[in-house]
Amino acid sequence: MSTWGADDPSEETLLEEVRAAAPEPKIQIRNLNFHYGKLRALKDVTVNFDARVITAIIGPSGCGKSTLLRVMNRIYALYPGQSATGEVLLDGEDILDKSYPLGRLRARVGMVFQKATPFHMSIFENVAFPLRHYEKLSKAEQAARVERALRQAALWDEVKDKLKQSALALSGGQQQRLCIARTLAVSPEVLLLDEPTSSLDPISTAKIEELLSQLSVDYKVIIVTHNLQQAARVSNQVAFMFEGEMIECGSHEQIFLHPKEQKTSDYVTGRFG
Amino acid sequence: MSATDDVRPFARVLTRASEMRARRLESGAAGDRIFKLLTGAMAYLVLILLAAAAFSMFWGGRLAFSTFGWKFLYSAQWDPVARQFGALVPIYGTVVSSFIAIALAVPMSFGIAIFLTEIAPGWLRGPIGTAIELLAAIPSIIYGMWGLFVFVPFMSLHVEPWLNDKLGPSPIIGPLFTGPPIGIGMLTAGIILGIMILPFITAVMRDVFMAVPDALRESAVSLGATTWETVGRVSLPYTRTAVVGAIFLGLGRALGETMAVTFVLGNAHEFTKSLLMPGNSIAAAIANEFTEADSPIYLSSLIALGFLLFIVTFIVLAGAKILLLRIGRLEGERA
Amino acid sequence: MNLIILRRRIANGVALCLSAMATLFGLFWLVWILWTTVSKGAAALKPRLFTQMTPPPGSDGGLLNAFYGSFVMIVMAVALATPVGVLAAIWLAEFARGNRIGAVIRFINDILLSAPSIVIGLFVYELVVRPQGHFSGYAGALALAIILLPVIVRTSDEALRLVPAPMREAGLALGLPHWRVTSKVLMRAASAGIITGLLLGIARISGETAPLLFTALNNQYWSADPKAPLANVPVVIFQYALSPYDRWQSLAWAGALVVTVFVLLLGIAARLLFKQRSTR
Repeated sequence: MSTWGADDPSEETLLEEVRAAAPEPKIQIRNLNFHYGKLRALKDVTVNFDARVITAIIGPSGCGKSTLLRVMNRIYALYPGQSATGEVLLDGEDILDKSYPLGRLRARVGMVFQKATPFHMSIFENVAFPLRHYEKLSKAEQAARVERALRQAALWDEVKDKLKQSALALSGGQQQRLCIARTLAVSPEVLLLDEPTSSLDPISTAKIEELLSQLSVDYKVIIVTHNLQQAARVSNQVAFMFEGEMIECGSHEQIFLHPKEQKTSDYVTGRFG
Repeated sequence: MSATDDVRPFARVLTRASEMRARRLESGAAGDRIFKLLTGAMAYLVLILLAAAAFSMFWGGRLAFSTFGWKFLYSAQWDPVARQFGALVPIYGTVVSSFIAIALAVPMSFGIAIFLTEIAPGWLRGPIGTAIELLAAIPSIIYGMWGLFVFVPFMSLHVEPWLNDKLGPSPIIGPLFTGPPIGIGMLTAGIILGIMILPFITAVMRDVFMAVPDALRESAVSLGATTWETVGRVSLPYTRTAVVGAIFLGLGRALGETMAVTFVLGNAHEFTKSLLMPGNSIAAAIANEFTEADSPIYLSSLIALGFLLFIVTFIVLAGAKILLLRIGRLEGERA
Repeated sequence: MNLIILRRRIANGVALCLSAMATLFGLFWLVWILWTTVSKGAAALKPRLFTQMTPPPGSDGGLLNAFYGSFVMIVMAVALATPVGVLAAIWLAEFARGNRIGAVIRFINDILLSAPSIVIGLFVYELVVRPQGHFSGYAGALALAIILLPVIVRTSDEALRLVPAPMREAGLALGLPHWRVTSKVLMRAASAGIITGLLLGIARISGETAPLLFTALNNQYWSADPKAPLANVPVVIFQYALSPYDRWQSLAWAGALVVTVFVLLLGIAARLLFKQRSTR
């Protein structure tokens, strides 16, 4: 943490102060509508996601949960036919506003995808390359930051001896953790995960779920999952979506044990899938 | 940006980090604009090249076009001394040799494509496919040399005398097959061209047959159709357009081929109907006579020939591509 | 047995037999041509092929200046066509996937790909040789570059489009600008396909004769100057093969063998590279 001035408080003190202060919603979504061409995929979604908790977005296939996730880092901007209207406030600032720079948004909001996509480089380079784009670091600082990111992703012990090897040689679960490390290396504030374990084996899945609860201390974690058991295991806050609408959002206990809406109750009890 | 001091020191710390990064990131946007412009310019260059090529040849040939007018297309007179040029002999030779090439290559390619997709066992498909592709890899000048030194003597010793005797006297096609059996001529050139374009047509036909949905083929087989019937009654009608496209592609290549035929056509300037006699093709004429062109009208006539060739091949190849778009659609349906 | 079924079975058998024969027919020509090239070329293959210059008619010699000239022109053609082609392919794959103009450019590119190379030679003649008043190695390299360009555009475009969308999105989601994602992430992922395309393109231009006839022509002597006519293998083969001199003809065969072997080796290299990288 060599970039702060000498009289800035240490990170630990800051974190304590954050926890002590009253939490404000990290992300506030107001009247969000999303279109794939003529098709309206999100209908007037309004919801708050609290800071420092793991939010799981659940719902049946095609309900719009991935679409909602992808609005939060405006990755849809890559595709000409897709558009979003409404407000998405990150710490009070509307990130859907055309004037909000994409680069800054994506520096604050990181995303991990369903299919692990390690770059065709060495393990070290996968993490160091995006980092280098942001900060000028000495070789030692770079190595330290890479190690820190890999530790945060619970991957360091498995790869510390083979950092120069190609990332493609890792197993599926390791590759996904590498993608998490890569995302963490640039110090985002929010971590978006789009069904990160759906193509992984149970052991890798368990490792990553364990990782998430550690990460939620420092980052706002939002995970999309079609696996109800995973949502039950991992989340503090749950948002249930159906056919493009946000049906209900509340604490873990509320959604699973005392749902307010009939549809929510039907979904979590398995009446439809 | 409401950075209030009282709440959330952690957020303040992170916002500072974000701002440091933001400075680094602003340059990204400008870089992206340059990136898009530069790559776009290179892409448009492809279009410009084609247009420039067409135009420059038209320009080079304008003297010939303005001097001879439409007569250029049907005059058989090619006289450098008298400075009178007409493109009939090269055009005729190009068309005839290409026609022979197609007549030879299409049935063969069809057979090879069927063999590769229906008959050959899995382990054989790779090697045979590769072997056919090798035919495409061999440079055309090798075809020319082999043609001149090996195939031409073969034709003149064994094939052409036979053709002369058996088909020469026949009523309608007879004149096509009379002539001294010197080996050099449009028939030989056509055969060599046929072998040259064989791998291209085969490759496209093979792709075309493989694009037929399995469901369609399987339903024919389960009704009791033989392999041949499945191909002939089901696959072929389904891919008809694309097969024609493949033929056009082969034709486009045959029309423009230079080195394979320059060696064996004979560079004749008189019009003859016989396939056994020397002839000329547009490409061969240009290749053979370019360095000898001693007057502007001579040079311009050769370039005018080039322009004609360009236009014709462009039309044929464009037609081929349009017909072949059907494969893309076939594969889309299959997916 | 039912007569109709018998007839159908016979028809099937005949058709399949014919197609097997067609395959043998195709292979027969391949073997004949390769055999001729190897036997006639090997007879003339001597070390001096690579150490001596092209000789005057009637004497012995080698093809050193021709090999050198071809090498120089191919290198220049690659240096010119590769950046242009790759950049154009990047535009097509990143910004023009579904739209009209992308389809048009791809269409035109494919036509250029199959266009007669003699036409390209004439084009460069009109563009460069005529205004300059003389043939040159530069003009030859330009002609080869124009023939190479559509090959690179097409293979690079296909290679880039094969890179999965999540990889592109992952790079962008890290906040990297698009050009960075393309140059560092996408190009690496597509490198196997791009290099394969380049190797195949080089194989193709190594054997091209017609365009060089009007641009680089030929040079009997040792010359390393691309501003003047430059010796090259295909044109030398062309001139020597059509000449009446035995020694020149045998040199032509030797040159033909070398070119064929070179082209085949490139093809094998391309295939191996592709298999190795895509299964990593």
